[in-house]
Amino acid sequence: MADFYINGFSALTGDAETDLFTPYFEARRLRRMESIAKNALLCSCRALEQAGADLHNPKDTGLSVAVGAGSLESTCKFMDTIIDDGDEFSSPTAFAGSVHNSTSLTLSIFLRLNGPCVTTGQFDFSFAGALLTAREFLKRKMCKESLVAVAEDVNPAAACMAPQHPSLFAPVLRGPKGPFMRAAAAFVISGEPTENTRFSVTNFHFSRTDAPAAPCSDFSSAAAPALETVRRLEQGCAFTLKDVFGGAEMTLEAIPYVN
Amino acid sequence: MNSAVIAGTGCLCACGNSAETCFEGALTSSARFALPLGRVESAYAASYPVFLAADEIVNARPQDESLSLHYFLTAAGEAFFNAGVFPAELAAKKRVGVIVGTSVDASFHCFDLYKSRRIGKTSPASEQELAHYFASSTALAVSRRYGFNGPFQTVVTACASGTDAVGLARSWILSGLCDAVLCGGTDEINLIPYDGFIRLMIAAKERCRPFDKTRCGINIGEGAGALLLMNEETAREFSVRPKGYVLGYANACDAYHPTAPDPEAKGLIKAISFALKDAGLAPQELAFINAHGTASQANDAAEAAAFNTLLKGVPVWGSKGVTGHTLGAAGAVEAVLTICALNKKILPPTTGFSQPDDTIGFSPSTKTLPLAKKAALSDSLAFGGCNAAVILGAEDYYG
Repeated sequence: MADFYINGFSALTGDAETDLFTPYFEARRLRRMESIAKNALLCSCRALEQAGADLHNPKDTGLSVAVGAGSLESTCKFMDTIIDDGDEFSSPTAFAGSVHNSTSLTLSIFLRLNGPCVTTGQFDFSFAGALLTAREFLKRKMCKESLVAVAEDVNPAAACMAPQHPSLFAPVLRGPKGPFMRAAAAFVISGEPTENTRFSVTNFHFSRTDAPAAPCSDFSSAAAPALETVRRLEQGCAFTLKDVFGGAEMTLEAIPYVN
Repeated sequence: MNSAVIAGTGCLCACGNSAETCFEGALTSSARFALPLGRVESAYAASYPVFLAADEIVNARPQDESLSLHYFLTAAGEAFFNAGVFPAELAAKKRVGVIVGTSVDASFHCFDLYKSRRIGKTSPASEQELAHYFASSTALAVSRRYGFNGPFQTVVTACASGTDAVGLARSWILSGLCDAVLCGGTDEINLIPYDGFIRLMIAAKERCRPFDKTRCGINIGEGAGALLLMNEETAREFSVRPKGYVLGYANACDAYHPTAPDPEAKGLIKAISFALKDAGLAPQELAFINAHGTASQANDAAEAAAFNTLLKGVPVWGSKGVTGHTLGAAGAVEAVLTICALNKKILPPTTGFSQPDDTIGFSPSTKTLPLAKKAALSDSLAFGGCNAAVILGAEDYYG
């Protein structure tokens, strides 16, 4: 008995180039779009396409978005305008973009999603929280499929502090994980199998543990566990992903689905 | 039973330091409405007032807690006391989850540190400070504090976060994921949303006037609302007398505009319709609506469109004239106030409202009204076009 089914998935690191959107949207619609939203949008398009959705008329799809610190480009731009220009000249546009669920807004408008929509922001634990929410949408019959979109931006606030804290930030600077990673992933899940189902998730568990909190040098990323999940799915084999973060653990067991 | 038991509630905001005193504040229209001088370093601080929590609450913040976390833990402590449940006993016996809605505590709290680095100050930040800025989760901090072992989630769906937290908590109970969930929302006065709403020209220099013809914008507020939800079996085991029930929940996107709600309120109508269906209730069974009622032109008009379409004749109460707009906490604060109103069977007046607006099509409550029905709707609208609705039942909902 499956907990839920995965019908489509996609991930990317770095920046989504505009020409990659050619099959989906006109390039002019992407102007001024923040990178975090652009990356999440491209992954979502690919995951939905794989799941067999009509991108111009998606039906009954919920949206559960996971972010780290949110839309950092806009947040920092807003803070920069306060610092550089003063409160009276700070940018209202940047403020609007800085709101955590601005990524979900972009996804809902571009993909015409008008079902349930919740954004989760808790760094390493965001993906697990968003997956829980997407599953609840299905269990409560709020929608037939849920799109789980995960997006993490480069954290310029951390970047500007890194030179002053080289020892603290060194592990992050060395590795792909952390506030200096721009990455996104998306998954389409359902409570019942569809003709496009690729994996059955037989067990999904997320809870707090008494494992020690992550040391400060292990700065977190909302995207890292989602990227790892996509990597395992792409291998096409049954897998168990057990991710123990500082203070919580997530277990995801999946097997390929055969129609 | 398709509902979650509300075992206990807690609340603090500008109109009180507990659920009881907050409701008293709502009945008497009394709240701490003042300029945020000393709280926010903004050029606007001398001209745009806010709704502030009491100094004794603010000053009691332990050094290792953000103000938002401190507010939530204070409200949560009241919720446990109200339930007559010791958190440690609950943690030892049951699977307990935590869901907290917030905005400031998840992102907007690094301005001072960011600015100090931008202007070249080199004094090192502490590891604790950096971890808080770059790896914090309000819900995880709460779960750790109480030693709970269930899932946790920090919801950041902007101003709908508090309502989503309450609705999702019910969902976790009904799906068997948890035996109990501590849920709610929390937010503090902070420079970023304070300046941001002013720069968007939707903040008011006067006390807000929800649904009023002369309404001219919102006032930011701060505070927290906490609800301890349980399944029936756990409530029985802990000899809890239900304080109410979460009967239904839904959420739907407008897919319309970054900051403005859909004037036709299609998303809100969808959310309310689903929540009513989820609760198994007809509109006429609602005692009242605790509206989002921010007193911005667009918000109140969109809500009116939804209420006039679906809920014509149901009394409307806007509570932001005494709480201010507490952002990620708003839905939770309003859920607690809604439970208070249902249990006391009194609907408070909508503080700030005096002149009916023909384009709104109804007047919210203008004086205290007796309530006979046992269920109410509380809704929230958020930037990004997210609409959330929760249906709450009184303590005697099931007789």
